[in-house]
Amino acid sequence: MKEKNKDKVSCDLDIVKEDWDLIICRCEEVTKGEIIQAINDGATTIEEIKRKTRAGMGLCQSKTCFRAIQRILAEVSGRPVASVLPYTSRPPVRPISIGILSSLMEEEDD
Amino acid sequence: MATDVVVIGGGIVGASCAYYLSKEGIKVHLLEKGPMGCGASKAGMMHIVSWEEPEIHLKLAKASKKLYQELNLELSSPIEFRQTGSIVIIEKLEQVETFKATFDRLRSWGLNCKFLTPRELIEMEPNITPDIAGGVFFGDDAQVNPLYTTLALASDARKMGAIIDTFNEVTGFEFNNEDHSISAVLTKRDRIPTSAVIIASGSWSHAVGNLAGLNIPVEPRKGVLAVTVPVPEGIINSQIILTAGYMESVKSGSNSSLSVAANIQRAVNGNLVLGTTRQMVGFDRKVDPYVMANVLKRCLRFFPAIAEISVIRTWAGLRPYTSDLLPIISPVESIEGVYVATGHEGIGITEGPITGKLITQMITGKDLEFPLDEVSLKRFEKNNNYGGL
Repeated sequence: MKEKNKDKVSCDLDIVKEDWDLIICRCEEVTKGEIIQAINDGATTIEEIKRKTRAGMGLCQSKTCFRAIQRILAEVSGRPVASVLPYTSRPPVRPISIGILSSLMEEEDD
Repeated sequence: MATDVVVIGGGIVGASCAYYLSKEGIKVHLLEKGPMGCGASKAGMMHIVSWEEPEIHLKLAKASKKLYQELNLELSSPIEFRQTGSIVIIEKLEQVETFKATFDRLRSWGLNCKFLTPRELIEMEPNITPDIAGGVFFGDDAQVNPLYTTLALASDARKMGAIIDTFNEVTGFEFNNEDHSISAVLTKRDRIPTSAVIIASGSWSHAVGNLAGLNIPVEPRKGVLAVTVPVPEGIINSQIILTAGYMESVKSGSNSSLSVAANIQRAVNGNLVLGTTRQMVGFDRKVDPYVMANVLKRCLRFFPAIAEISVIRTWAGLRPYTSDLLPIISPVESIEGVYVATGHEGIGITEGPITGKLITQMITGKDLEFPLDEVSLKRFEKNNNYGGL
């Protein structure tokens, strides 16, 4: 699948040519090629890249890969890095067990 | 080329409309104020529900499931459709009789379902608490990735010539003076001349309808969900497990009081999605940690073994709710060329494809698959019970 993507991309930037199979999102094993493909398919925001590729949806919730994806999106779309907004951060931010999260009620009751 | 139909809303319903209209050679312009699928279509579970009553829901669900089976083969990208079946847990003995009546009724409609004794259920799900009264297996239920479906429908519609116009918001409508038919849709970027408009804006349909002087009686009904790290098969064997209380929760009051029912689903990647709640609190999509704790407690009540599994993300979505829990799949009688396709509450994923197909049949003047009086917009006018909105 990753090899197939390579042919579809018409973009001529250096960033596209190199390291196509480099894993950018380690949690969900999403490659640079897949991220660039999502941008070529019309994604203009990090959220759209996430929804097309699952990049940033894993255990770390994009804390590891956000900067790299931000940079790729900025370079491929020719925008300043600062203009690429981050993912919406959602609780619990760090993984917390169901047992602990559900005990919130009981602590209040005491 | 001129636009034939403007679809307002880039959720699963709008994307289905765009897809089926494009297949008929109709030139579609889909407007979405955010990215595709940014409302309820990305926020919900993955369940294609076969058993939601009354009869019109059963018919819509059956026809839609058939469309999902076709879409699974014909769309260019995967939608993770799986024929999974689902389990509904009956928690208490006193619920068995009531549920048996529902079960018999559903069976008489031809649904594939099987009553489970606690022992049979424990055999299927060894990690379930023994403190249950039984369950039902629904063999017709299936699972799909709603966001992938929405994106695939839109992407294939675009390949057939549709314009998928994201981050563009509707600001108003123009009408022909003589007959008050629709003539154009105004957006924050441009003016799109058209002779037909579909309002498929989910919980936001009331606001969009207002711009055309319409009262579309849809309100947001909030639900919260959590997703865990991927878990191996075996902790939970079934892909979809809910409780009999879920059906009661759907029918519970349309007010701000919180209704919680356990609903546990396992995605293709192995993540568990845990839910859910029903609450009418406006458009606020923040997750209240106490509400979330309530949901997780309900899930733990049935599967204590999942206590150690980590939650990585929680979120809330807004179901487009109508007071009679039926969708609106309907032309607007007062304005020629305007159609409404929304109000599916918690089963918009189930009924999305058939809704797009039926609206396409209305617009192309083809025979409808079945009569749609029960889901007309007119039904609210008759009773005039939407004045409060």
